[in-house]
Amino acid sequence: MTGTHRSMLQSMQLFIVQNLIWGILTFTFLVFSVLLPNFFTLQNVHFILYVASAIGLLVFAESFVLIGGSMDLSVGHIAGLSSMLVGALTIQWLPFLPGWTGIILIVVVGALLGSVNGFFVGFMEINPFLVTLSTFLMYNWLTYYINRGAISNVSRSLVFPGGGRIGGVFFAIPVMLAICALLGFVLTRTRFGGYVHAVGGNPEAARTLGISLPWMNFWVFTIAGALAGLSGLLYVGYLASIPSTIAGGDDIFLAFAGAIIGGVSLKGGEGSMTGALGGVLLLGIIDTGTAMTLINPALRGFLNGLILLLAILINKYRVELRDRILMSRPAAALGAAA
Amino acid sequence: MSLSGVEQKGPLLALKSIEKWFGEVHALRGVTLEVNRGEVVGLIGDNGAGKSTLIKIISGVLRRDRGQIFWKGERVNLRSVPEAQSLGIETVHQDRAVVGMMSVARNIFLGREPTSGFGPFRVLDRQRMARDAEKLLRDLRLHISSVDQEARFCSGGEMQGVAISRAMHFKASLVILDEPTTALAVTGVQTVLSFIRRLKEDHIACIFVTHNLHDVYAVADRFLVMVRGTVAASVRRDEVTVEDLVELQLAGKADSRELPRDTRAAQRVAPGPHADR
Repeated sequence: MTGTHRSMLQSMQLFIVQNLIWGILTFTFLVFSVLLPNFFTLQNVHFILYVASAIGLLVFAESFVLIGGSMDLSVGHIAGLSSMLVGALTIQWLPFLPGWTGIILIVVVGALLGSVNGFFVGFMEINPFLVTLSTFLMYNWLTYYINRGAISNVSRSLVFPGGGRIGGVFFAIPVMLAICALLGFVLTRTRFGGYVHAVGGNPEAARTLGISLPWMNFWVFTIAGALAGLSGLLYVGYLASIPSTIAGGDDIFLAFAGAIIGGVSLKGGEGSMTGALGGVLLLGIIDTGTAMTLINPALRGFLNGLILLLAILINKYRVELRDRILMSRPAAALGAAA
Repeated sequence: MSLSGVEQKGPLLALKSIEKWFGEVHALRGVTLEVNRGEVVGLIGDNGAGKSTLIKIISGVLRRDRGQIFWKGERVNLRSVPEAQSLGIETVHQDRAVVGMMSVARNIFLGREPTSGFGPFRVLDRQRMARDAEKLLRDLRLHISSVDQEARFCSGGEMQGVAISRAMHFKASLVILDEPTTALAVTGVQTVLSFIRRLKEDHIACIFVTHNLHDVYAVADRFLVMVRGTVAASVRRDEVTVEDLVELQLAGKADSRELPRDTRAAQRVAPGPHADR
């Protein structure tokens, strides 16, 4: 009977270890709430979620690729280029197009830009770091080539998804949450999602079991591109304009940071969308919190890096602890019960 | 096995004059062999005799340069792993065929998961996977605490069991085991041997490659001895002793001047832990 007792205690430990990100999230939120008088308000929580939504989609895109065993440096610039290209297309080059077509086009262009990565990683078998480093540069400078400044007269329908509200709630928030749920569903409940995990966890095994590595890589990068395009759309609404620096700068590194803080492994095959969401929200809380302290913006950037380092350290011990708990589980009675 | 009623006669697998080169190296020099339905065949021979090359050709990983392959009497191409799988040939590699981060149940069905729903709305039938996986492991008498356990926490023998239960579930007719006992502890070896007996009970043929004759002598019906890229001898187990087989391997080695010295000889001759039946 000590066996069942131990395993119940261990189940609790396991639950805590696996959901550690939410504990850290709550702790950080409470710390800011104590330090800042206006932090613990419904309005501010709403704002945190809103700030997190555009970067959130980039984090989800990166998490998806990382779980599939690759990495994508270009998601930020895919967001930038697809919104700039579609902005120029619908406003300057083909102004007769109805505004809502832009919403679809941004996602389609994002997917196409992502599929370029997928083609070279999957079918040409080139290292994903090198492929996406190349497209990182290409997409970035193509965005500048189209417009060195900014497109400011963005149509209302293109601004709505990222800037509009429904019943007082920013529309971007349910978009992000719905995408998170959808991706989580795909990863855990479908064959395709299982293959993403398998290809990331042990490509050799996946191949011997008849899973096509080239096609899996192709689709993983294409989906990441579509998500990046959607992220670009939210940025457009957030800024109500399309500057050439959109989703540039630190954003790609924050996409990695959010994924890794959320427990997605760089080694591939491991991670969840709920974890990634936790990572996104933690980034949002810290960003909003530090913004409200009015500290020097340069120091805020520095702080982001410091927090990432801390998160990696915590995650390392979290994974070790989790393995230890899982390994020491008493052999329950599958065979004995039979 | 309803559809096999008509084609019960003749060997399951027949290879005729299979040849394979790797650049200048003539790895297989005309291999001819047959495997019958439900037969357990031990493939033995020195390092460099061509065992793994032959196995890779049968499992679809490598293509032959010359020769013919017959499956249930019909000539087949055997160009890829999926082609071999669709014929009913499953290969179990030591540790390469298991995704450590995924559960035991998911590993068994990886690549061929049962789904429910229809069209693009098909979702994994997780209950069925768990149920079938539990039954398979029970049939193999494998005491893994839970089918939800991540595969990386399994021992070497248990991982073999996971891979073998795939073959059993998907109704393979031939299972190839590549060095199934090499990296295992004594209990693991016994586990794998009991798997092979289970396959035999289900009338599934089995080819296993091995260095350790003492481990597997008891379960095999027949041994094929490979020497320098050919099958030098095919002997039934009841006709030979372990010592005879060791000698056959050594004889092949004494003949071969071009092969590098085998450093594993000592390990191979060392007596195994089990007693003959």
